[in-house]
Amino acid sequence: MTSIDTSTPRRRRRSLSHGARIAGAIFISVLFLFPVFWMVLTSFKEQADIFTTPPKLFFDATVRTYTEYFTRADIPQRLLNTVIVATGAGILSIVVGTLSGYALARIRLRGAATFGVLILMSRGVPPIALAVPMFLVARNMGLTDKHITLILAYCTFLIPYVMWLMRSFFVSLPKELEESAMIDGCSRFGAFFKIIVPISMPGILSTLIFSIILAWEELLFALVLTSRDAVTIPVAIAGIAGDTETGANWAALTAVGTITVIPVVVFALLVQKWLIQGLADGATKG
Amino acid sequence: MSTLDIKDVHKSYGAIDVIHGISLNIQDGEFVALVGPSGCGKSTLLRMIAGLEEVTQGDIAIGERTVTDLPPKARDIAMVFQNYALYPHMNVRDNMGFALKQRRTPKPEIRQRVDDAARILGLEALLDRKPRALSGGQRQRVAMGRAIVRNPNVFLFDEPLSNLDAKLRVQMRSEIKELHQRLGTTTVYVTHDQIEAMTLADRVVVMNGGVIEQEGPPLELYDHPKSVFVAAFIGSPPMNFLEGTIQNGDVFKLDDGTALKLPKGDPKGRERITMGVRPEHFELTDAGWPATVSVVEATGSETQITARMAGKMIRVLVRGRTDVKAGQTIHLKASPELIHMFDPAPIPDVALEEDY
Repeated sequence: MTSIDTSTPRRRRRSLSHGARIAGAIFISVLFLFPVFWMVLTSFKEQADIFTTPPKLFFDATVRTYTEYFTRADIPQRLLNTVIVATGAGILSIVVGTLSGYALARIRLRGAATFGVLILMSRGVPPIALAVPMFLVARNMGLTDKHITLILAYCTFLIPYVMWLMRSFFVSLPKELEESAMIDGCSRFGAFFKIIVPISMPGILSTLIFSIILAWEELLFALVLTSRDAVTIPVAIAGIAGDTETGANWAALTAVGTITVIPVVVFALLVQKWLIQGLADGATKG
Repeated sequence: MSTLDIKDVHKSYGAIDVIHGISLNIQDGEFVALVGPSGCGKSTLLRMIAGLEEVTQGDIAIGERTVTDLPPKARDIAMVFQNYALYPHMNVRDNMGFALKQRRTPKPEIRQRVDDAARILGLEALLDRKPRALSGGQRQRVAMGRAIVRNPNVFLFDEPLSNLDAKLRVQMRSEIKELHQRLGTTTVYVTHDQIEAMTLADRVVVMNGGVIEQEGPPLELYDHPKSVFVAAFIGSPPMNFLEGTIQNGDVFKLDDGTALKLPKGDPKGRERITMGVRPEHFELTDAGWPATVSVVEATGSETQITARMAGKMIRVLVRGRTDVKAGQTIHLKASPELIHMFDPAPIPDVALEEDY
C-alpha cells in the first residue's frame, strides 16, 4: 500500500529534479558560452555596429577585420611564435614530467615523496613573483625575447603538473606489468618504454594537449620575457586591448581572439575522446 | 631445467625482518609448493628467487650459477602472476612471443614456438585477440603460455589460481599438474590454499612468520605434522585440538576437569600437551570419549558431525551415512597412531576458518 501511495509523488519529484538539472545545465552553459558567442559575433562586425545600443544580433557581417589582421606582418608571426613555444614547452614538459612521474610512482628513493611535494608546492608561488626574477636571469644571460626562454619558463609550471598527473596514472597500473617485462628480458627502462609508455599513450597524449593549451594561453611570462621577436598571441591581444593611441579595436581584438581559441577547442575535444579511451584501457587489468 | 638452491636467505625492510634465514634445495624437475597464511613470507621468497626483491643476506643459485645479485632478465626464469600481468596493448601471440623477441630469437622460430605452446594449452583460436577480449580462465592460460614458450630453467607461480572461480580453479589445477608432468620443469608454486599445495606438489614447504615450519611430501606432512601449526594448516577439514595435562601416563585431563582415557602415553613424556585428531580419524564406538552432537551434515559420500567435547567444538567425519541425530551423545575413539601429541601452542586461525 505504502509503496503505491508514495510512488506517484516520488516519480513527479524525480521528473521535477530532472527538469531542474536540465535548466541548471542550460544556465551554466549559457553563462560560460555567451562571452565566446559574443566574441565571435563581434569579430564579424564593423566598428559602427559594435557600439550601437541596443546591441544588434543581426547586422551586415564582414570578414574585413580577419583579412586585414591576418595579412599584416605581425599577427601571423605571433601565431607562429605561439605554436613554437606552446608545442616546445608541451613536448619538453611531457618528456621530463613523464619520466619523473614514473620515478615518483615506482622507484623506491629516499626522500622521493618529500621531493615530489616540494615540486608541487612550487606551483603555489604566484607567477608574478617568479616573472621578475626570471626576467633578470634571462637578461643577464642574454636570453630575453627568445623562444627557448619562454619554453623553459613555461616548463617551470608545466613539469610539476605533468609529473603529478602522470604519477597518479602510473600508480594505477599494476606493477606486475613491469615485473613481468623484466623477467621476460627487459631492463627497467626497456619495460618502461616497451610496456608502460604504449599502455599510457592516451594519458600521455591528453596531458600533452593540456600542457600545450596552458602554454598557448599564457600571458604573464610572455609579457615580461618577450619584447618583439618572440611575442606570442596573448601578448598581441593584450596590446590591441591596451592600445592608447587609437583606442581598443574591438573587432580586431575579437577576431584574433577567435582564431586563438579555435585550436584550444579542437584540442579540448580530442582530449575528451582520448581521456575516455584512456580510462577504459586502464580498467582492463592485465 | 635446473636445480634451485636457496642458502640461508634473509630479507628485511629497514628494521623489519620478514624472512629469517631460509634454506631450501630444489631438485631438477621437482614441483615445490610454498604454502602458509598471508604475511608468512612465501611471496617475498618467490620474488627473491625471481630477482624482483633484493636478498638482504644469503645466496640463491639456479643450477651451478649464483644469481643472488643478477637482474630478473639474467636468471632464465618464467613467472605467472596472480593478476596474470598480460600486456594489454599486445595480442595473445605477441604476449607469448615477447620474451623471445627480447632475446632476438629469429621470427620464424618465435612463430613456431608460440604455435607449439598455443597447441599445448588450446589457445590456437585466441592468438589474435587482445587480453581484454579473454575470459579469466583464458587469460590465466595465456599467462602460462607466456611462461612455457620460454622453456626456462625454473617456473615460478605466484598464487596463479586465486582470481578464478572455484570450478575453474579445480580445472586449471589439473592442467598445471599435467603441464608439469609433460614438461618436467623445476617449479616453485606459491599458494595459501593447502589443497592446491597437496594436490600439485612433490614437496610442500609450510612457512610461518618468515621461517620454514616443516617441509616434506604432502602425505608426510599430513601423517606426521611436527607442530600444531602444520597440523592445523594441512588437511581439510582441519584437525581437532584439545589442550590438557597427562596424568598417570595415559589419562588426559582437560582444563575443565574432563578426563579422557588415552590409548597411549606421550612418547616424549611431556606433562602438558596439545592433542590432535583429524576429523576423518575418529570412529564412533559404544564406549569412548563422550561428545554431544550439535549439527549433522550429510553429503552422501560422507557425513560431517559437529559436536561438543568438554565445551570445545570438534568435527567428526565419517564415510557414508550415519543415523546420528543432533542432541544425541556419541562416543569417539581413534587408533593410537592417529592421535598426535604436540607441545602446547595456540591454535592458528586457519583451523578455525570455515572455508574448506
